[in-house]
Amino acid sequence: MDAVEKQVEGDFFNVDSLTISFGGLRAVDNVSFTVNRGSIFSIIGPNGAGKTTIFNCINGLYTPNSGRVIYKGEDITGLKPHKIARKGIARTFQNIELFSRMTTMENLMLGRHIHINTGVLSGATFFRRNSRAAKEEVKHRDRVERIIDLLDLQFARNQFVGGLPYGTQKLIELGRALALEPELLLLDEPSAGMNTEEKQDLIFWIKDIQDELGITILLIEHDMRVVMDISDRILAINFGKPITEGAPEAIQNDPEVLKAYLGEEEIAQ
Amino acid sequence: MDIKRDYYEDIQLLDSKVLWVWFLMLIGGLLALPFLASNYYIYMANYMAINVLVTVGLNILVGYTGQISLGHAGFFAIGAFATVLFMGKLSFPFLVALIAGGVLSALFGFILGLPALRLEGPYLAIATLGFGMAITQLIGRWELFGGRMGIQAPPLRLLGLFSVSNDRGLYFVIIPIVFLLTMAARNLMKTKVGRAFIAIRDSDIAAETMGVNLVYYKTLAFAVSAFYTGIAGGLMAFMLGFINPSTFNFILSIYFLAFVIVGGLGTIFGSIMGGIVMTWLILMLDKIQDLPYLGEALMTVSERWMSVTGIHNVASIVFGLIIVLIVVFEPLGLYGFWIRTKIYWKTWPF
Amino acid sequence: MFLQLIVSGIAIGSIYALVALAMVIIYKTSEVPNFAQGEMAMISTFIAFMLLDSYGQSFIVSFMGALAFAILLGVFLEFTFLRRAKDPNVLSLILITLGFEMMLYGAGSWKWGAEQQSFPFPVSDYDIVNLGPAVASHLNIATLLAALFLMLILALFFKYTKVGIAMKATQQNMVAARINGIRANRILSLTWAMSSFIGAVAGMMLAPITTLDPNLMMDPLLKGFAAAVLGGMTTLVGSALGGYILGIIETLFGGYVSLQFKSVVAFMIIVLVLCFKPSGLFAKHYVRRV
Repeated sequence: MDAVEKQVEGDFFNVDSLTISFGGLRAVDNVSFTVNRGSIFSIIGPNGAGKTTIFNCINGLYTPNSGRVIYKGEDITGLKPHKIARKGIARTFQNIELFSRMTTMENLMLGRHIHINTGVLSGATFFRRNSRAAKEEVKHRDRVERIIDLLDLQFARNQFVGGLPYGTQKLIELGRALALEPELLLLDEPSAGMNTEEKQDLIFWIKDIQDELGITILLIEHDMRVVMDISDRILAINFGKPITEGAPEAIQNDPEVLKAYLGEEEIAQ
Repeated sequence: MDIKRDYYEDIQLLDSKVLWVWFLMLIGGLLALPFLASNYYIYMANYMAINVLVTVGLNILVGYTGQISLGHAGFFAIGAFATVLFMGKLSFPFLVALIAGGVLSALFGFILGLPALRLEGPYLAIATLGFGMAITQLIGRWELFGGRMGIQAPPLRLLGLFSVSNDRGLYFVIIPIVFLLTMAARNLMKTKVGRAFIAIRDSDIAAETMGVNLVYYKTLAFAVSAFYTGIAGGLMAFMLGFINPSTFNFILSIYFLAFVIVGGLGTIFGSIMGGIVMTWLILMLDKIQDLPYLGEALMTVSERWMSVTGIHNVASIVFGLIIVLIVVFEPLGLYGFWIRTKIYWKTWPF
Repeated sequence: MFLQLIVSGIAIGSIYALVALAMVIIYKTSEVPNFAQGEMAMISTFIAFMLLDSYGQSFIVSFMGALAFAILLGVFLEFTFLRRAKDPNVLSLILITLGFEMMLYGAGSWKWGAEQQSFPFPVSDYDIVNLGPAVASHLNIATLLAALFLMLILALFFKYTKVGIAMKATQQNMVAARINGIRANRILSLTWAMSSFIGAVAGMMLAPITTLDPNLMMDPLLKGFAAAVLGGMTTLVGSALGGYILGIIETLFGGYVSLQFKSVVAFMIIVLVLCFKPSGLFAKHYVRRV
């Protein structure tokens, strides 16, 4: 029954035999996985395993040497990042890439970029409240305000993000990605730098994003509690190669995964 | 600061009654000046306005979009020569020629923007330098542009009706144009396009990831910047009455950059201040020997150790020193001073 | 004629190579193209002239004096201004060098004014050597030898000496270099001293060919930059080669196509190379990781 359903609906998002090398190094080696619409799919693995590189291939920053990225039935491999953004895929970065000399509000408004309809002429010539550019600005600021409310960022609304604490900056990146109104959201270590309380909040928010906004989430995470709590499926990779894929319980006890994280000697004991 | 009541106030220019008053006073002052001031001050005002326009244009590219250009004298030249030739040889009316000159400049800006897509930092600096020099050299050696001698600007007739023949008349052409374009720039920077520019400056990878088409916006930044500079060049042609290629050299490009830096990167208000202050400085340094005490001291120094005829070179020294001092000590320029002063007065106990 | 053009091209190429070398040294450690180095060289050359002309010193003394001055000037500029920059991004650094350039040009013009002088050099520009159908002056040969010599020494210096490697380390990651015991500040001063020295050599070898006036180094500076871009701003040997290539192309263009637009070639080359191979013909390209 399940197989038939899947066939009819078509995969929402999948990666097929993705491979990319830098110089002589195979950063990602034949990675494939499928993500169902509305689910949370996590990628785990030790540092340097190639997780962020996979994200970079998906979102167009790198072009893979071979393999495909397929989104809603369309081959989006190697498209430039701004085109991928227009298709409804947003992402956050492991090392924060915020616009440090803009305020929180302005950062999030940039997330609305693809939805705003202002060009050079209309932007240069708004003089009144009723002009087109002004109305666009107001409309989108309203949307962004809701995200600020959702993530409790009011205190930072008009502050330059460069001076804000790391955990807050991570949250702003999340907000900016949400502002794009994505259908697929790539989160690269969103909980890094957060304390336990903040991580709890983050878990709730991510679940909210999934349930209420219906967004499909691709997650890279190191914190196992976060991963196990919210993931529907997990892919473990090491040295660019996939180790195993499955439901959280299965991954937790998989000997290959443990070996990758803890090393062979530990397992032997 | 008043409480903001709705989102429009985020981008509104005059968001309080106090600012409206200042603004109206400014407009009043600008209108009254030509009737109250002597010819020299009107000339100065014209010169300041043109430099403000260039500074705003260059700031859009350098301050807001984070690119570098050491070749803007090239766009200035294109605007100047194009406007004069369109009027002289093709008999375009003034405004049409001016705008056409700006558009031609913008086209070259776009062309320069293309290789700039792949270049950063020092490489971009040198590429723009090469471009600027190439333009100057080409214009200087091509007979079409009058060769070394340059060409004369044709008499200026607005709408075929009014004849503009002196600084005062020119004032009423230059000031409104500069005023409108500066307002336009300010508005543009507050909306989608300006935000995209700033995003490119702060993190072009994130900008692209969020849907900003880098190719489009980077070349757009170059084109808009070139447009502003081209219009300024066209206006300059009429202010001087005569243009020759040696004016548009590398030093001029550096001057333009100095205006932007001294005023403050990434701020329109800073550009206005930078253009005004630096123009005043240039005019003052031109006649350095006429200064009350400093002039005599410098003349003495000139006679004893340096050459007397070369005294006007003190201007270069002063200029260079200012650039270095501002960059080293106050990277935010005059705008930085302005902000600091405001904060200081706000927290002052009285 | 072709051979003569080549020879002339190599002759002027030596000057461009020297300027390119001076530029690349600073670029390799501070990642900034030093726009002031033309005027630094100009002032040093004038110092030599002053020693020769007004103080009647011998050539050797004047030459050494100018070089000593150049070293001091380099260190002084680095120490007083560059080091204090609060916001060391590329634009700021470029502007600082541009500011120096204006100051030095103004100072030079003020002191030595608009009169053109001739710079007496012990190696003559008139005595020639016959190379088949072409001729080269003694000065041309001396310049070529000087350029090659300096190029070789620098290449070896950077590759094999401790200080040279320390310089490369400072450029790639100043904090890490410091942690490893490298005195980054001294390295920077040394870099500027070396660069200024080479620039002064270039100035003093160019002055006898053209006339000595404050505009001496304006054109060679830009051509030197073009050469460095052509060859690769991160490689010493490459940029020097770029100098020769540029000299030859420019002279050939001047001979066969148009003498008037000769200089335009240099600038077009800059733009073209930057379009297609920004890191230069002989250098490696680095990609930034996210």
